[in-house]
Amino acid sequence: MGKSFDIGLILDFIPKLLGYVHVTFLILAGAILIGIVIGFLVALPRLYRIPVLAQIAAVYVSFIRGTPILIQLFLIYYGLPELLKLVSIDISQWSSMFFVIVTYGLSIGGLFSEVIRAAVTSVERGQTEAAYSIGMSPFVAFIRIVLPQSFAIALPNLANLIIAYMKDTSLAFSIGVMDMTGRGQTLGTTTSHFLEVYISLAVIYYLVCILLESIFSRMEKRVSRYERKFG
Amino acid sequence: MQLDISFIMTAFLEILQALPLTLAITFVPLVIGFGIGIGIALIRLYEVRYIHRVAGFYVSFLRGTPLILHIYIVYLGIPMIFDRLSAHFGWGMNSSSIPLIIFIFIAFSLNAGAYMSEIIRSGILAVNKGEIEAAYSIGMTTRQAMWRIVLPQALLISLPNLCNMFIGLLHGSSLAFSISLLEINGKASIVASTNWKFVESYIAAAIIYWGLTLIAEQITGLLEKRLRTFAKGGVA
Repeated sequence: MGKSFDIGLILDFIPKLLGYVHVTFLILAGAILIGIVIGFLVALPRLYRIPVLAQIAAVYVSFIRGTPILIQLFLIYYGLPELLKLVSIDISQWSSMFFVIVTYGLSIGGLFSEVIRAAVTSVERGQTEAAYSIGMSPFVAFIRIVLPQSFAIALPNLANLIIAYMKDTSLAFSIGVMDMTGRGQTLGTTTSHFLEVYISLAVIYYLVCILLESIFSRMEKRVSRYERKFG
Repeated sequence: MQLDISFIMTAFLEILQALPLTLAITFVPLVIGFGIGIGIALIRLYEVRYIHRVAGFYVSFLRGTPLILHIYIVYLGIPMIFDRLSAHFGWGMNSSSIPLIIFIFIAFSLNAGAYMSEIIRSGILAVNKGEIEAAYSIGMTTRQAMWRIVLPQALLISLPNLCNMFIGLLHGSSLAFSISLLEINGKASIVASTNWKFVESYIAAAIIYWGLTLIAEQITGLLEKRLRTFAKGGVA
């Protein structure tokens, strides 16, 4: 700290930090993409009650829900290169951005799977039966009938998870990723106005949060428009 | 490299010494945050003039910013305010005498209060309106109806969410190391870097967090079963 508090600096810092906001979105987008794949891989064995795989999936979800994201981040950052060294792939020189995206993807995927599971089970079984009765295969019935309906149900929960993970991207700097928080650390060191930096960061995260919320609420309106209200 | 299984055990025992600190960082904010949460929830439900807007902003802002920034802002901001007040009133103390854990308690309590107010608010809204009307009809005041009739039911409804709050705080406590408090994560990183065994140490830490989470879920399950006895339908 050292120097006295200067409120004008907050306005000064915001544009500087905002230049790094794309890193946050990049982590989030990568994590969501991986997360959706992992989410289905983990949810489907449990939905179709495939033995062994379903139990492994349950343990995976329990682990993700049971450990802090920071610990998961360190485990992947230190553990994954060692693991891949066994099959003689060397990734220890890869950028820490890669490890952050993988960790957040694996982590958000575990939680996505729970949302997907709940949403799919909340679609009436009659819908699947009706699809079968007009001759759809199980795969087509799932993709065309069950999935669109469960997406509308799952969306609010998915949105909450994504917003929560957006805030957690602020931990990426702990393994050296230059995101807004990382840039904030260096900015704080050079100007020794840490408090102002952190307040600016809080303002930016808050704005990003509001932005995401408004996008999701618009999406929610759109995907639930089939639920017409009859007069 | 080979995974050193026996070192995981050694690390586990060493990291376990940090358990009391982690639990303190989890429980104290849970209790204070609960108080803040009820206060904020009631202010927002009854739309107390002027303050309910402030309360609304407090909840939305704290829910919209990362916990790590709350820690940093409290850690840097409180000493500044404290020193200024101290100089003004001549307390003869300065901020360096405040123990670090106090900053964590303040930051986590403010954070937990914001989240819990929403949990409690949705719990109160989920209680049937007939309950409060029945309470009025037998002559209870608003305060009595709230404390004796609505809140107990609302808390029961929010129990699973409150358990999630506990788990959230437990996991959040891993950030206390950022102001160099040696809780489980901090201890793990010290064990890791002194022995140059990162994976093993973090596996040990992960097992501790995982175990605590599972225990918390079990206790909530039991508690819910016990508290729900009144809500059973039927006749017997």
